[in-house]
Amino acid sequence: MDDYALGVLTNIGLFSFVALSAYLLLLAGEMSFGQQAFFGIGAYSGGILTALYGWPLPFAAVAAMTLGALAQFLLGLPTLRLRGLYFAMATLAAAEMARIAFELIHFQREVDGELAGPDGTQGFRGIRWIFEQDIEPLGYLGIVCALLALVLVAFLLVERSRLGATLRGVGEDPELAAVLGIDVRRMKLGVAAAAGALAALGGVLFAHHNTYIEPRNFDIMLGVHALAYALIGGLGTAFGPLLGVLLDIGVLEGSRVFHGYRMIVFGGLVAVLLVFRPRGLLDEKAVQWLRRRLP
Amino acid sequence: MLADLIQNTLDGLGIGAAYALLALGFTLIFGVLRRANLSYGPAIMIGCYCAAWTHLNFGAGLLLLALVAIAGAVLAGAYVERLCFAPHRGGSAIAAMVASFALWMQFEELATLVMPRHVYAFPALYEGGPLAFGPFTMRIEALVMLAAAATACAFLWWTLYRTRFGLAVRAVIEQPAAASLSGIDVPGVLVRVFALASALGGVAGFLVVASHEQITPMLGMWSTMKGLLAMMLGGLGSLPGAVLGGLALGLLEAHSQWFFGPQWRDFIAFALLFALLAARVPWMTTRSAS
Repeated sequence: MDDYALGVLTNIGLFSFVALSAYLLLLAGEMSFGQQAFFGIGAYSGGILTALYGWPLPFAAVAAMTLGALAQFLLGLPTLRLRGLYFAMATLAAAEMARIAFELIHFQREVDGELAGPDGTQGFRGIRWIFEQDIEPLGYLGIVCALLALVLVAFLLVERSRLGATLRGVGEDPELAAVLGIDVRRMKLGVAAAAGALAALGGVLFAHHNTYIEPRNFDIMLGVHALAYALIGGLGTAFGPLLGVLLDIGVLEGSRVFHGYRMIVFGGLVAVLLVFRPRGLLDEKAVQWLRRRLP
Repeated sequence: MLADLIQNTLDGLGIGAAYALLALGFTLIFGVLRRANLSYGPAIMIGCYCAAWTHLNFGAGLLLLALVAIAGAVLAGAYVERLCFAPHRGGSAIAAMVASFALWMQFEELATLVMPRHVYAFPALYEGGPLAFGPFTMRIEALVMLAAAATACAFLWWTLYRTRFGLAVRAVIEQPAAASLSGIDVPGVLVRVFALASALGGVAGFLVVASHEQITPMLGMWSTMKGLLAMMLGGLGSLPGAVLGGLALGLLEAHSQWFFGPQWRDFIAFALLFALLAARVPWMTTRSAS
């Protein structure tokens, strides 16, 4: 496999994490415009821990996920009381504040005779852990896929459990769920923390794949793309967001057929698709239909 | 110190008037559809790109360019309405919003395909220098912007409260079901409101690019973000709120830029929006937004 194909495949994996975090919130009935913030928090904190403090990536990833979970939990405390567009705008405002904070962070130290660390709008260079460990691109793709597979298994287990049914209930009708004795607020805060951790994991892996990150990587475009991936792929199964990422990055960018016209093709496809399938390709009905036919 | 404050206030009013115009269009669409149109700014950008293209190829005068910008924005807006909002009426708000984002992506790529350079020159709205009142200055462009915002308000007020069409619009805003039952052509009203809002956006976009004397593809995102911010600050779906929100945002930005620099300017604007939303101030959360 050539490096370009490896890069495309790795990107599909990386953006699947943030798409899955948007999907998880959509299941709980919340539309977030701000998942890019937690992707960014993961990327920056993980990068700082490996590049400046010499932590191994696995520990840095766990720390970054904890930070992402905590950040979205804390954000959820005041914002999850808001509904619809108000929640979306509050998450967008918080995410833009985070992006500007990344522009304002100057935190550099000398590592092996060179300055490393976040340097405001100049970005954050030299996140070289995977090179120092001699991990080949194919090996890194393997790591990303393995982690993604773990996350997907967790999603499938949860969705088949009572917890999954409760989650969809909260998303579809919070009032009814509350009447049935479900603690809606606790459920949503838990979902927020999980979504923050997921996006942060994607961010850590993104930072170490690219070795260079800058505040612009974490602007609203990423957040709305994540939402779009989740919605066009479908809200019926955790494979939906993956399908969304695969369609955009894999088919359209990877094939290079629509070079220069990719967004025109993708944008039009998404808008037309949503007319016919407002809950995405793999929506609940499609998933039930598939389940009946598959063993 | 006091002189700086006064000068900042004058500067802030000018840019605030542009925000108010953008927010008026946004809030009109929100009022009737209960949906945020993320493609609102990008449709304005398409209108302004049409004007810039006309200028580049035919060197037309300002008035004609303004008409081209408005017509382009209305056409782009009609495309958005047909593809993103008409099919999802009464359906999924999230689907409509994501679809409008998808068309945003289309508009941005279209603009950079037709005019690939990052920046294009645009004819100046006014060639002379600013007006001076003693130590203070006010750009003529800012005065034009304020006058345009005031005219737009008066025109909208007249349309909404003195015409049959306005009555229909207000009925659709208050009670869409009842409006439909009493014989109002609700889809028709929605289309016309969309066109009206897009035309307003075209005016705003034209004034902005003509006073900056340049146009970049960033205009789309800028218009959407500033319009959304101003609309939210003033309260969703409220016309006076949109104007007040726009002016407040302009003043806040002018002062915070002067004291803290451009990065903090944006940070403070978002922090204010966040704080007001988190505190659930009454004027911002009374309207239901799905």
